[in-house]
Amino acid sequence: MKGRKMRARSAKVIKQVLIYLAVLLVALVVLMPYAWMVSGSFKETLELQSSDVTVEHLKPSWIPRNPTLRNYREVNQTVPMLRYFKNSIIISLGTMVACTVIALPAAYALSRFNFRGRGVYTVSVLATQMLPGILFLIPYYLIFTTITRHTGIPLRDTYGGMIFTYTSFALPFSIVMLRSYLNGIPLEIDEQAMIDGCTRLRALWTVIVPLATPGIAAVAIYAFIMAWNEVLFASVLTGRSTRTVAVGIMDYVTATGANWGGMMAACIVISIPVLILFTSMQRYIVEGLIAGATKG
Amino acid sequence: MKRLSGWSRRKHATAYWMILPAVVAMLLVHYIPMLWGFYISAHDVNIFTMVNWINAPFVGFRNFIDGLNPATTTGARALRSLVNITVYSIVAIGAGYVIGLAVAILLNQNFRGRTLMRGLILLPYITPDSVAYNVWKFIFQSRIGLLNRYLIQWNLVSEPPIWLIGPPALWSVTIASIWKGWPFAALILLAALQKIPQELYEAARVDGATAWQQFTMITMPQLRTVSVMQILMSILWNFNAFNQFYIMLGRDPGIAAEVPSTLILREAFTNLKYGIGSALSIVLMLILLVITTVYLIALRGTAGAEEM
Repeated sequence: MKGRKMRARSAKVIKQVLIYLAVLLVALVVLMPYAWMVSGSFKETLELQSSDVTVEHLKPSWIPRNPTLRNYREVNQTVPMLRYFKNSIIISLGTMVACTVIALPAAYALSRFNFRGRGVYTVSVLATQMLPGILFLIPYYLIFTTITRHTGIPLRDTYGGMIFTYTSFALPFSIVMLRSYLNGIPLEIDEQAMIDGCTRLRALWTVIVPLATPGIAAVAIYAFIMAWNEVLFASVLTGRSTRTVAVGIMDYVTATGANWGGMMAACIVISIPVLILFTSMQRYIVEGLIAGATKG
Repeated sequence: MKRLSGWSRRKHATAYWMILPAVVAMLLVHYIPMLWGFYISAHDVNIFTMVNWINAPFVGFRNFIDGLNPATTTGARALRSLVNITVYSIVAIGAGYVIGLAVAILLNQNFRGRTLMRGLILLPYITPDSVAYNVWKFIFQSRIGLLNRYLIQWNLVSEPPIWLIGPPALWSVTIASIWKGWPFAALILLAALQKIPQELYEAARVDGATAWQQFTMITMPQLRTVSVMQILMSILWNFNAFNQFYIMLGRDPGIAAEVPSTLILREAFTNLKYGIGSALSIVLMLILLVITTVYLIALRGTAGAEEM
């Protein structure tokens, strides 16, 4: 009896040890590239350029030999990173606002009205998610140039053109996400507000929007991050005046020179807005879950 | 829902007004360009005709034939890119799913620091592509890279391999993609794991089921719907993969690591053969359509009528 108990206990201990070892392994794999990025961002250019895996005393090390802040201070020197950063902020904020403003009524209509064509519309929203981005890019680019040629309105390499493009990219998923959030808000709430004399739009604005804030925030942040990270369209449609960080960061390492220290520093700088926004979205998601659980 | 169907026409008008902006945006950016894409693929739009591309000469299926003809450089590359993307996708999707499932099961156990770990594994998922893949490019550098440092230190190789040029490039990108991709699988599989009723496991244990039997008889069937969706999304994402190849290998990854997106981009915007680029992007879309349809039909035979 005693022996069996002890065997069960040692099995449990072994299981715990294995779990912690596995957790450690996962953490190592996840964190290793970040550690290398941070380490690289504090290394001197000379150290990076002279390092050599085949020479014992020159092999790349985790700890910078002469830690320096130069890569951060001079992040803007070889590459106009601050300008790219400004472009990204403007385009991403614009996309965030436009996408939220357009997605909210559309999601509300899908959630509350049983209009003709709702099914077709939902399917067409989802279908856009499946198609390769490159499929639109070529005609989209040619249409841009033609419109500009005929009307004189510049579209390529303008903030407006990029915001419009990214808003449309972010819309399908935003609408689907927001619709499922609104579905969780009982219909009686709209009806109550309308009985109290609100119009439909007023009810949406004064009653539903406050209740749906976590869902709306999640959509807004999704749109921001999508625009911040997009590479394919940015590589073709942005130019001197609207180059975003996602594409601009590649300027640090070119055929003519590799400034890895500067690139790692820039990597950290451009990750910060995304990290902050995502962390705040996590809070909203948790809030939304709790609200759903307590009301349901 | 029944209540809604009786609503008056005027209310439907409100609904149409509400979706109108979204419909217009989607038409202008997705559907209208797509239709023009079909048009361009049947016309000889190139550097000479692009200014007035709407009047470019009609060439029928010529762009498709040229784009896929193995005797031409582009055709050979196009066919190779389809092979490359298939190999890449199978490995990346398979590894991403298995690692994601393993970690999801791990994080579903009881241990100290579980909440912290659940947040931590999201890091690769939320890190911008341009950051993650540039860091991996740095790691894979031949002379100054972290990987070769350990390969040499542990005497696994004597000369530092060049990872980002030639045949190894495809595998380097695959490894970086797996690192970035598995957390999403883990995230949604973990959420599904937490929804499995514990009574199922208790009943199974009473009946004397081993841990492996519990895994195959309860866990896997319960994860089925989520797994089907996760793999479907992975297929779409991976076949369209562009960022990781473009960032790690540049505009021209070389034939051994060429994928459709990089080839089409170059064909259109470097070689200025928009017609062939369009034709190839339609081929890519059709292949995706076939794969998705086959995948869903193959699964429908066995799946219950669960909603997605």
